[in-house]
Amino acid sequence: MVENARSINIAASILLIIGIVYIVGPLYLTLSTASQSYEYMLRNGLAWVPGGELFANMGKVINDTRIPIQMLNSMIVAFSNALATCALSFLSAYAIVYFRIRWAGVVFALILATIMLPLDIRVITTYQVASNIFSPLNAVLDVTGLNDLIANAFGAPVHLELSVLNTHFGLIAPLVAHGTGTFLFRQFFLTLPKDLFKAARMDGAGPIRFLFDILLPLARTSVASLFVLTFLSGWTQYLWPLVGASTPDMQTAVVGLARLVPDADGQVPDFPMIMAGAVLVSLVPLSMIALLQRFLVQGLVLSEK
Amino acid sequence: MSSESSLFSHRWLPLLLAAPLMLLIVLFFYVPVFQAFYWSFFLEQPFGGGSEFVGFQNFARVLSDPEFWMAGWRTIVFMLTASSLAVIVPLMLAIAADRKIALSIPARNILVWPKGIAGASIGVVFAFIFNPFVGLMAPLNTLVPGLWNPGIDGTDAFITLVAAHVWSGIPFNFVILLAGLRSIPHTMHQAAAMDGAGPWRRIFDVQLPLIMPQLFLTFVLEFTESITSVFALIDTITGGGPGGSTTLLVYKIYVDGFRGFDLSGASTQTAILMVFVLLLAACQFVFLGRRINYER
Repeated sequence: MVENARSINIAASILLIIGIVYIVGPLYLTLSTASQSYEYMLRNGLAWVPGGELFANMGKVINDTRIPIQMLNSMIVAFSNALATCALSFLSAYAIVYFRIRWAGVVFALILATIMLPLDIRVITTYQVASNIFSPLNAVLDVTGLNDLIANAFGAPVHLELSVLNTHFGLIAPLVAHGTGTFLFRQFFLTLPKDLFKAARMDGAGPIRFLFDILLPLARTSVASLFVLTFLSGWTQYLWPLVGASTPDMQTAVVGLARLVPDADGQVPDFPMIMAGAVLVSLVPLSMIALLQRFLVQGLVLSEK
Repeated sequence: MSSESSLFSHRWLPLLLAAPLMLLIVLFFYVPVFQAFYWSFFLEQPFGGGSEFVGFQNFARVLSDPEFWMAGWRTIVFMLTASSLAVIVPLMLAIAADRKIALSIPARNILVWPKGIAGASIGVVFAFIFNPFVGLMAPLNTLVPGLWNPGIDGTDAFITLVAAHVWSGIPFNFVILLAGLRSIPHTMHQAAAMDGAGPWRRIFDVQLPLIMPQLFLTFVLEFTESITSVFALIDTITGGGPGGSTTLLVYKIYVDGFRGFDLSGASTQTAILMVFVLLLAACQFVFLGRRINYER
């Protein structure tokens, strides 16, 4: 098709340039400021040209702050979040799609509803549950009167306590309690031809074999997409790790980075050092995007369909 | 029945498969959601100091607090400005990147980068870039003193928040909208061009109507997203200030609950915010969803 589209192509190019500058600008200023000294920043403000202090500033971050161990925490949280979300969502979607269970629709709706109310909204009570994950059980025993029976029989009611606050499990579990993965895999399973299942049955494949030998290989790219997506989401979490971890050695890198900025006004903070911290903290997720962009884009598209 | 042979019929296996996720979801989603509503009718003492049923007293207390209404109003203003910008900017970029021009390939790559940068990280960066003394606006401030100071002027702080929110919202919305644009059959464009519609006209008469489902979806998700994910930005850029001018509900709930130990008040506000978010989504589905033709 040949048509005169000069004006719109020029406009589109200008728009894209503005968009790219908007995205890359802050990243560039972060990097260039991170490579200047504190004194340079005090004299000139933010740095437009890179200097030679990048590794000195990063060294400050690595030696003087808890960022290295916090990055390890972020790694554990992001990786476990991705792995657990992929595995558990895959299994639950499998159960919903390939088994004749009476309440499949209800179960799916219950899982899907989690998308409506993000963790950030329900953080207060999620914190309370995490401070004693047996509190719902205790409440059920109290309300149903079972505890009175137990108290009569054994002399004391059941009251279990286990706090997962300030543990890796506590940081990860509320992130996994999310429906996107199940939704994504369910959509994928529904696109597969029904004959696939019938052929597998005819060949004598049971549910476990069908799951591992047929579905899992087919779902490779979906799994990879969800993995990238949930890894990034785990790495970039802020509010939950902020309240869920109370000691610096258990906090994640993003929280640690935010804590580098002093609360009090007055003296200008050591911005080059903080920016070097921002570079360090963003290095892992950014390189992941650079390497696995295909999966990320696919994951974003799949999670909406 | 043919459908019977296309499903496994085990009794306990599917339950076992779904159990781990369901357990986590019940424990960390349904129990907290229930507890927020439950506590909004009780006066909770912090540190497990007992509770007392108070009926609607918590709601009366919260609803008569002008701070709550201010925070609620700011939440709505932020939701409307930030989420519309966070959809419209990626929409324009997606329409531009959908054209066959040299820049569209690098743009499709670069515009996804913010997905890997945490809200709190970009908050720290924006706090520096928009710092009135050493940041981008510092030269202007020396020319016109007091022109830009997010530490004093609430509007400046609000603008910084919106800019940071749009920045982090670009990848998701851009990818979704671009996928929608690219799924429009080429023949549609050709047919419209035959009828004399130029490329500008086709944006409004072909592209926008056909990506309505994606546009609708990004709005639905963006409304909730803008209300909740703004926490990281507020906490790192403004700390709710100056003078509470950027204290949105999600931040106020955190401050009341974790710093003021007002569990009942925080739970009540959580319950109100949840109802608001759910109503909002329901409204969008009922009023907007109906008008959209999903057929292609």
